[in-house]
Amino acid sequence: MTIRIDRRHFLMGSTALLAAGAAGAMPAWAQDTRMRLFFWGGQDRADRTYGVSDLYAAGNPGVAIDGEVLPWGDYWPKLATQTAGGNAPDIIQMDYRFIVEYAKRNAIAPLDDFVGGTLTLDDFDADQLEGGKVDGKLYGISLGANSVAMMVNTAAFEEAGVEPPNRDTTYDDLRAMGEAFKSANIRGGMKVIADGSGTEPMLDNWIRQRGKSLYTPEGKLGLDADDMTEWFQLWAGMRADGICVDAETQALDTNGPLENTMIALGKAAMIPSNSNQLVAHQAINKDPLTVSSYPRIAAGVGGGHYRKPSMFFSIGGSGANKEAAASFISFFVNNPDAGKILGVERGIPCSAAVREAIAPTLDDKSQVALDFVANLGDLLGPLPASPPAAAGEIDVSLLRTMSQEVAFGARTPEDAGPAFVQGATEILERAS
Amino acid sequence: MTIEPMRLTVVTETNSAKRLRKRIFSVVAHVLLISASIVMLYPLLWMLSASFRPENEIFNATSLWPSSWSLDAYFRGWNGLRVSFGTFFINSFIISILSVIGNVAACSMAAFAFARLEFRGRRFWFAMMLMTLMLPYQVTLIPQYVLFLNLGWVNTTLPLVVPKFLAADAFFIFLMVQFFRGIPKELDEAAVMDGCSPWRVYWKIMLPLSTPVLATAAIFTFIWTWDDFFGPLIYLSDMRQYTVMLGLRSFTDSTGLSDYGGLFAMSVLSLVPIFLFFLFFQRLLIEGIATTGMKR
Amino acid sequence: MTARSLATGASSGERAASPSVWSRIWQNDAPGYLFLLPWFIGFLGLTIGPILTSLYLSFTHFDLLTAPRWAGADNYVRMFTNDAKFFASMRVTVFFVIFSVPLKLAFALAVALLLNRGMRGLPLYRALFYLPSLLGASVAIAILWRQIFAGDGLVNQVLALFGIQGPSWISNPNTSLWTLIFLSIWQFGSPMIIFLAGLRQIPQDMYEAASLDGAGRWRQFWKITLPLLTPVVFFNAIIQTIEAFKSFTPAFIISGGTGNPINSTLFYTLYLYQEAFGYFRMGYASALAWVLLAIVGLFTAFSFLTSKYWVHYDD
Repeated sequence: MTIRIDRRHFLMGSTALLAAGAAGAMPAWAQDTRMRLFFWGGQDRADRTYGVSDLYAAGNPGVAIDGEVLPWGDYWPKLATQTAGGNAPDIIQMDYRFIVEYAKRNAIAPLDDFVGGTLTLDDFDADQLEGGKVDGKLYGISLGANSVAMMVNTAAFEEAGVEPPNRDTTYDDLRAMGEAFKSANIRGGMKVIADGSGTEPMLDNWIRQRGKSLYTPEGKLGLDADDMTEWFQLWAGMRADGICVDAETQALDTNGPLENTMIALGKAAMIPSNSNQLVAHQAINKDPLTVSSYPRIAAGVGGGHYRKPSMFFSIGGSGANKEAAASFISFFVNNPDAGKILGVERGIPCSAAVREAIAPTLDDKSQVALDFVANLGDLLGPLPASPPAAAGEIDVSLLRTMSQEVAFGARTPEDAGPAFVQGATEILERAS
Repeated sequence: MTIEPMRLTVVTETNSAKRLRKRIFSVVAHVLLISASIVMLYPLLWMLSASFRPENEIFNATSLWPSSWSLDAYFRGWNGLRVSFGTFFINSFIISILSVIGNVAACSMAAFAFARLEFRGRRFWFAMMLMTLMLPYQVTLIPQYVLFLNLGWVNTTLPLVVPKFLAADAFFIFLMVQFFRGIPKELDEAAVMDGCSPWRVYWKIMLPLSTPVLATAAIFTFIWTWDDFFGPLIYLSDMRQYTVMLGLRSFTDSTGLSDYGGLFAMSVLSLVPIFLFFLFFQRLLIEGIATTGMKR
Repeated sequence: MTARSLATGASSGERAASPSVWSRIWQNDAPGYLFLLPWFIGFLGLTIGPILTSLYLSFTHFDLLTAPRWAGADNYVRMFTNDAKFFASMRVTVFFVIFSVPLKLAFALAVALLLNRGMRGLPLYRALFYLPSLLGASVAIAILWRQIFAGDGLVNQVLALFGIQGPSWISNPNTSLWTLIFLSIWQFGSPMIIFLAGLRQIPQDMYEAASLDGAGRWRQFWKITLPLLTPVVFFNAIIQTIEAFKSFTPAFIISGGTGNPINSTLFYTLYLYQEAFGYFRMGYASALAWVLLAIVGLFTAFSFLTSKYWVHYDD
């Protein structure tokens, strides 16, 4: 694996070259500005991000950017501690889950004033812009569009003699595939799919196909006890019939590293995931992978998917360098050379010009992900309202736990449905 | 005690039976210890072998023996981050050594006061000290961060080192108190009679007789400081200041690509200094009252 | 302390004017406070402030990002009347404490006794047994533990040799906590070292005298080793109990911070951490912390009270 080092050297080299051409007029605030850029991710993302920040610094003498990258789990406590101490970074990578929390408390700054000035968003995708708004104000600039997607192990399907899923696959088809997998009995009883009952995006997708939503625009629960009972029953049935993996196996996936997912462990031929994770999943899987849409609830029913901002850049609410930070973000999402360094690692770029510029430079898997998001067609539904601040808690502490309770037999689906609604309502009330 | 002559006769009487028993005991003990060692060590052997494996073999290997040996992960891991692991090792080493010095000095002083000196409020302060052990650090983290921020210490190693010189870790004070109290009191009483100051009692009697516990404190401080990641995580932001533990965590990210080969390789390397430190200082563990010939 | 300070308090009034009081205080108290000086600076300057702040925060709603709002006893009331997770996490933690602490201590003491004998290769064994503790709770442990305790892990491979089909220990809610107890016992190095240091402090001539009196090994253990070791046993028991109550990192890394499956590894401090940093309720988390402090404090105070009946100090 010397590729990693080589790539960085390559990036650094090209950075210097590009910088020579990028140096332009120097804005007024650029006199000795020092900014902190804080983001989560792995080494690959760090290399790409630093490539762009170096490129920016080279073109803006007097501006220095101190980057800091942490893994997801370490990132949030540190960000919260710094913010609580009034020492928030200037540029903050933000997640869909936390943006409401930070925005409502003014821990990140509204960006509307910079738009059109330092922050150019002329050819930015409208839905991605919308996704960064909280209460009508722009708090986050999407760093890439993304969609939920099934991660599919095509080799396993071939081995089982089953046609891999496509955009028309329904939950009923899934059952048929599962039966075929059972009779094929490959790789020590590999199942066709992981247990998705505790996966919030999958529930979200399913309920959206029923014309509802997980949360209403007012931040209330958008589904009722019957919906949830049916959801738990759907998966209980698949579990009982050996279509999806059993409770004990599924519990190995702690929503932690990708290495613990059912597809990486070889326990299931497909798992619910996100389109931008194809490259990462492929890197740890010996079999060829591809992405496909989430199953339809019935033939011809769509509208479950939407193009979700994978993550944002936000600006710290108390920072002194907001203008400079906005300028950097603008460069990050609009500059074609920056786009080439970043690729689709954070999702599909939201600027049309950048998309065009990077298209020829993408590798196969990145291209697959890009095509998937670009061609959702009738699977695409309206962008949901930003979720209430307690959505994360409902997902982590309620949905996942309750799906395990059903899976391990501690609750029946009929019991879990109303219990979920009650629990979620309590959490929402407490948070408001 | 005048037992020397008697002792000789007793020993000769039961000599052969005793030797046989000793031999049997020794064999049994070794068998027990060796088999326990294997159980203890298996996970570490697994890690060691994982660090030499090709990347795609790490998670689905069945045997401990890699199919092919490769030092790839070591080179990759060493230079895998923006700053080389050499820097992390130096940082960790400096912080850990300073912590050892600070902890042993400050905690032994405090422990001497609690164990041997009479002063008003002693029990109260001792209870206060124990209390600091009981509160989970998660809830004092933010006030402490604000404090260090106001002192201008954030992004330096001061928040990690200065508290050690101020005996902030009550564990070690308590530990030393227990050991100091085990040292015969007649010794320092005699010294005080001879006109020794408390400082001389501490310096000339307590410390020399406490090698085992001081070595224990040194070992633990070094290893725990080395292994600590939460303090460095919160207070250090510049990668050039990172410690080894912080560097190790940068190999894995739950949302994207992780480099497990590099993680295991560097984990193995990170064990080397603390293991050496342990080996060196454990020799001091066995010195002490028993071998210095101190009699009561 | 009380009796003593009361006595001095009563007499201080009449003697306040006399200069000998100051010299007396200097004589009696000064050395103690001087030796404690570093600790005092640290305690008053660095430690007590954050501790009192957290006590204050436990009576507020504090979301980390905006200023705390006074809440009276709300957090405490909620905890005891309307929080199933508080009780669930307390149950998990108490279970963990009850099983991990005695087992770990017994194991540590047994090995320390074995290693304290004049055997060949002792430094090597000591080092080998301490090795697992060197690992701390690094990320590597999380992966190792899966390799051992997952459905197709090492343990089940061994069991399969005997025709037993084991569960996936680490992801089954009935057994997952045991894998963490096992982890805690596996890392028995620190109490072992402390026991060893304690054993070395026992004067050798006491054994010599005892064997002269015809005492066997067993009797020597009960009559000499154990009594003289009680200060160290006392220390290890208290520290390990406090640490077990506060145990966080193993569950955090092995369950990915969730405490799952079905909250079976939701340690008290893990729950506290989720509340503080996952759901932005630092006020509530602080209240949780102070309840833990009260419980552990009571336990410790009780241990100190009973210690005079079984812990033998030389002073």
